[in-house]
Amino acid sequence: MTTPTVGLVGAGGIAHVHLPGWLDLGFSVVVYSADGHAPALTGLYGGRAVGSMDELLDTADIVDVATPTDTHRQIVERAAEAGKHVVCEKPMALTVADSEAMIAACQRAGVRLFPAHVVRYFPAYAAMRSAVADGRVGTPAVQRFFRIGAAPKQPWFRDRARSGGIAMDQMIHDFDQARWSAGDVAAVYATQAGDQTTATTAVHAILRHHSGTITHVNGVWGNSAVSFHTGFSVAGPDGLLEHDSLRHPVLDYDGVSDAAEAGYLPPVEAASSPYTAELADFARAIRDGGSARVTAEDGLHAVRIAVAVNRSLDEHTEITLEDITENTLEDRR
Amino acid sequence: MKVGIISFAHTHAIGYASILRDRPDVECVATDPEHGARPNGESGGRELAESIGVGYVDTVDELLAWHPDAVIVCSENARHADDVERAAAAGVHVLCEKPLATTGDDARRMVDACERAGVWLMTAFPVRFTAQYAQLRHRVQTGAMGTVLSISGANNGRLPAERAWFADPALAGGGAVADHTVHIADLVFGLFPDADAQEVFAVANHMLRPDREAETAGLVSIRYSNGVTAVIDCSWSVPEHYPTWGGLNLRVIAEGGIAELAPFAERVDGFSDRSPLWLSYGADLDAAMLDEFLRAVSEGRQPVPSGRDGLRALEVVLAAYESIAAGRAAGVRAL
Repeated sequence: MTTPTVGLVGAGGIAHVHLPGWLDLGFSVVVYSADGHAPALTGLYGGRAVGSMDELLDTADIVDVATPTDTHRQIVERAAEAGKHVVCEKPMALTVADSEAMIAACQRAGVRLFPAHVVRYFPAYAAMRSAVADGRVGTPAVQRFFRIGAAPKQPWFRDRARSGGIAMDQMIHDFDQARWSAGDVAAVYATQAGDQTTATTAVHAILRHHSGTITHVNGVWGNSAVSFHTGFSVAGPDGLLEHDSLRHPVLDYDGVSDAAEAGYLPPVEAASSPYTAELADFARAIRDGGSARVTAEDGLHAVRIAVAVNRSLDEHTEITLEDITENTLEDRR
Repeated sequence: MKVGIISFAHTHAIGYASILRDRPDVECVATDPEHGARPNGESGGRELAESIGVGYVDTVDELLAWHPDAVIVCSENARHADDVERAAAAGVHVLCEKPLATTGDDARRMVDACERAGVWLMTAFPVRFTAQYAQLRHRVQTGAMGTVLSISGANNGRLPAERAWFADPALAGGGAVADHTVHIADLVFGLFPDADAQEVFAVANHMLRPDREAETAGLVSIRYSNGVTAVIDCSWSVPEHYPTWGGLNLRVIAEGGIAELAPFAERVDGFSDRSPLWLSYGADLDAAMLDEFLRAVSEGRQPVPSGRDGLRALEVVLAAYESIAAGRAAGVRAL
């Protein structure tokens, strides 16, 4: 059996990580991007740029959707109809309805759908979840997650209609983590400071899980000099797990002027890239029909939490997740 | 200067007594009349005073009859109001342990009594005396950080094990929310003295220690009148065998960057045969706080943080409990 070909749709930020990841794993990759940037991307990393979505679908066995969020549903549905397995960058979609439609389309077509919640493949987060699952701290009582990065430069990210804002685009990583370690979320409350007129946006979300766990998620899109910085604290009756991505560096520079990089994405080593590990897990699941560490249902749950957080920001009140259905205000937008 | 200590109920009293004992300008006498009512095995009373090396009398009346210049009230939170009122009536300046009280009425009564009596009331918020907090506040207040948008804070500790009353809501006014929200609430007010806390949303649970009546984990979200938002994790989430009591972290998120303050971070790390070692060497914040108290009293000025500062922090706690009970955001009521 020949190695399947991946059709990467989009040539923006995350494509710069996924393309080298697929190539490292030995896949042939064709890239299509509506903005015409595919040749520049393949020029950097390899792979072959194609001129249309039809051409991509003619060639690819797996479609990797790395486009702005508001275009995911249409591309995923088209890929599914063409019988392709789908990897879709997170968030799956801006609405619960779109996410459900994508899942349904892939089920109808008999293809797999994997939302790229890559933080599940960051070793510190995987180690924490594994320790929690093994009962080493007991049922988490209180969790904190934070995620700080420079605000993304592409304007569509800060347009909530297109990206869902920081809650949907960035904090969704930690919504997924919070749910991974403490189970489904029952209700959320959130506050925001900063908006499209400020350099910095900070959102706090408080999650109540069905397990009784309470979780604080703090997302920050900071000024362009802010380092990428994440961390968590998970406390249960039997112990405490803490992590800070800036502590315990394996390699650190001092006196080197260009060493500190501000960033929207975390710095990773190619050989141990969580992005590559994620794509490898999806590829294996497609190959052997098994499960991956993250499922389409997980992606849907994460979207539902983010939609609820955005609604809480609008309504200044706690939002019950059961109230986030296909026919919510958010979904009609 | 003659300084009295009313009650060893709060174990901070032991530290205060030791600091005062070592000050050549201070004579210290303590009283701990409720010691007998505390559970067997909890330290206190004359025995504790003697082991520290400070004077001891049996009752608050005797202590006040000694004519101290000032007292430190370290009784159970629910008893602060009566003790402060008695000290004020005797014309004695007061440093009161936090939280100032367990009800708004009590706190108001304390502040009013001290104002009426013309004595100073200070609230024991030692973290304010972190030198790096003063630097941070200077940067914030001079605009060097740009506009501050938001705060993320965590003040976590062990379940206070050496005194049972901390987890008895009747005496403590609650659990972790009452105990650990106020320090960070006060630090935020210190950064923005003109801002008011307007609305609080809080959640809590008992999962860390289901055997205790009081909540042991809590998250408190606050909206301020200047547009700043904050969340405080006030949980007693530090494991029993952790190498130190806990800690405090404050992240200030501003247009001009992000500041992270960890007043208790300074230490030497190590490991013995059996357990981690954590040798804290940061400045003694309690000593700095007592120095401000005694200096202000001798100079005839209001010590900072004041009783009113304690009142404002308590307003946040009371709104947090209202929110927890109601399951929705609660307005902060000025006391």
